[in-house]
Amino acid sequence: MTPKTLRPARRSAGLLPYLLIAPALGLLAATLVIPIVSAVDISLHDIRVIGAAGPFSGADNYLRVLADPTFWAALGTSAVWVVGNALVQTLLAVIAALVLDQRFPGVRIARVWIILTWIVPTVVIVIIWRWLLSPSGGLVNPLLIQLGLIDRPVGFFASGPMAMTSLILINSWRWFPFVAVMLLAALQRIPADVYEAAAVDGANPLQRFFAITWPLLKPTLLVLTVMGTLLSFNVFDVIWLLTAGGPAGATRTLPVLIYETAFKAYRMGDAAAMSVIASLLMIGLAVMLLETLAPKEKRS
Amino acid sequence: MSLKPTLLAGALALAGAFGAAPSYAQTEVKLWHMEQPPHRVARIQELIDAFNAANPDIKVVQEPQSWDQVYAKVPAAIAAGNPPDMLFAIPDFTTVVRKVDQLESVADFVKELDAEHGFVPAAVEPYSYDGGVWAVPLYNMALSLWYNKKMLDDAGVAPPKTWSEWKAAAQTLSKDGIVGVGLPANKQLYTDQTTYAVMVNNGASDLFNADGSIAFDNEKTVGAYDFYKDLYQYSSPDAANWTWGEAEACFSSETCAMILQFTVISTYDAQGGGDAANLGVAPVPHADDQADSSTIAYSNGVMFLSKDPAKREASKKFIRFLLQPDNYGKFLTMEPGLFLPVTKDGAAAGTFWSDPLVVKYKSQVEQMIKNADRGMLFGFTGGHVFPAIGAISAQNMLAETLQKVVINGSDAATAVKEGAAAMTEATK
Repeated sequence: MTPKTLRPARRSAGLLPYLLIAPALGLLAATLVIPIVSAVDISLHDIRVIGAAGPFSGADNYLRVLADPTFWAALGTSAVWVVGNALVQTLLAVIAALVLDQRFPGVRIARVWIILTWIVPTVVIVIIWRWLLSPSGGLVNPLLIQLGLIDRPVGFFASGPMAMTSLILINSWRWFPFVAVMLLAALQRIPADVYEAAAVDGANPLQRFFAITWPLLKPTLLVLTVMGTLLSFNVFDVIWLLTAGGPAGATRTLPVLIYETAFKAYRMGDAAAMSVIASLLMIGLAVMLLETLAPKEKRS
Repeated sequence: MSLKPTLLAGALALAGAFGAAPSYAQTEVKLWHMEQPPHRVARIQELIDAFNAANPDIKVVQEPQSWDQVYAKVPAAIAAGNPPDMLFAIPDFTTVVRKVDQLESVADFVKELDAEHGFVPAAVEPYSYDGGVWAVPLYNMALSLWYNKKMLDDAGVAPPKTWSEWKAAAQTLSKDGIVGVGLPANKQLYTDQTTYAVMVNNGASDLFNADGSIAFDNEKTVGAYDFYKDLYQYSSPDAANWTWGEAEACFSSETCAMILQFTVISTYDAQGGGDAANLGVAPVPHADDQADSSTIAYSNGVMFLSKDPAKREASKKFIRFLLQPDNYGKFLTMEPGLFLPVTKDGAAAGTFWSDPLVVKYKSQVEQMIKNADRGMLFGFTGGHVFPAIGAISAQNMLAETLQKVVINGSDAATAVKEGAAAMTEATK
């Protein structure tokens, strides 16, 4: 075969991949790029109500948002929310993964059972927890009174710190199984002979965990930390349904503030500016996490 | 015999037998309302079915919505070009819809209905501004003080009329797990309503000055917030998350001795024992230096959002049908006692007064109607309406201010000042 005869085939092969990915790219453009471009466009206009027109306002919306203490308060609340969720979920997930990595009767059932909280719809989770934590008729308050931990029913969403703690625990309870399953998969990839060699060398369980398990789990944890941070930051449903950002704004994270600004205060331009700032912050945070947490040899 | 006529005859016979599609065009009209409880949806459907059966060229369909979402959903639906044709609403909502949609005045239609049924003027007033009438009033609601007579009798407490009596009663009743008075502190419409009900009973009814500036920051308002804070200590620990349902549940389960609510009749009858003699209702107590009680009252109405003349006409036909006294009585008793008539002939409708629950709780319903006579609505007092009330209401600024006082422990004067600043910002 001469090079000349190959040329048309190469050309058609060169086009084929583009043709194949074109539908996916088109879909991505329609569902991601267009909304992002639209959000940036709205953020540069003084638009009040969704669908209404507004004059070009340049960076005014951004300047107003950045000067608004409510925005910074919501950003701070988001930081508490993200860090709280990351800590609680990681702790619970590591413990659960280590337990599920053991051999004991019923371990297969336990591995399936644990993901139930993750697959139950959010609204069901919210209804269950609202009922459980209700001071009138809920199960948790009477239990705590019987245990002598409290002497009268407590409103778990009645004060700022209580509401935030309750929300973090509920959200973590929902999502830690996802992290645990990922960690379990990572644990099961660690060859058994590494542990056996360590045992032969006289390493105790704690030493084996910190010398073998933890370093080998770190790449998975890195991915989960970045993913978890982005996912936690964007959580809206659980917060909105349980506290709607209250009481008195104590659980008003940035997504909640963006929603309120757009659909309650009818300041679509400001809400879009907040969204753009939040997106940039998230991109920056993801890059920073990857840079600081990635194994050094990989980076070099 | 030719095959073609036979086939044609067969096709016609089949069409007849299985109910062929009608030859006339049917106008479909979409109704959004926020009366979500299943029994209310069922009653509305009953009326829609009767209307649709009598008007085969029109098909009304209902899509119940949530109060929490509707302020966001309607502008989005209008922007998407898919708004409802009819939308039940409260007065401040008309200002929101007018911002995004060229809402057409229904002054002529209201005049026509007024001639036939006689509207209560106070029901039309909140919808009449900027030279038009923006919704047709449908029903009235007013907040009252509901109390459990036996619990009050056992505690030796008389139904309170003034704030000092109210506080003393709440204090006396709050023992052995009983909530003396159930008051919400959620950032939600219910808390806006209870807060305003306390404000008007201290003479702080106006949110706006005549020039459109905010009149919220004054001594009377601060006094009302201070008093709410005093009472809130006798409310439920989870009241910071309450909406109407939680308050009703607290009352019906005899955990709350008193609550502020539009009605509790249905829940009380179904879940609270249903002893009519034990259900007390009174005007919201007033400040000691005020002469009489007032309350918050809503004239609920229906807006026509459709631009299509056929749909608008079909919508009007449905509302004409709904306001016919027999139908209107059935409509109002979808939640007996909650929805009060806004037309003169509706107030006398046999179907209203013969409803079994209205018969059983007649004295309570009569008291509620009496309470509604002195009803006011925030943003719609003083004879002027300003569009900013839509944003103030949608952001639950009265409730937000209350949260600062009762949850964060802020000084009422400071919180009210901040609330006034936020309201001023919303007017820009």
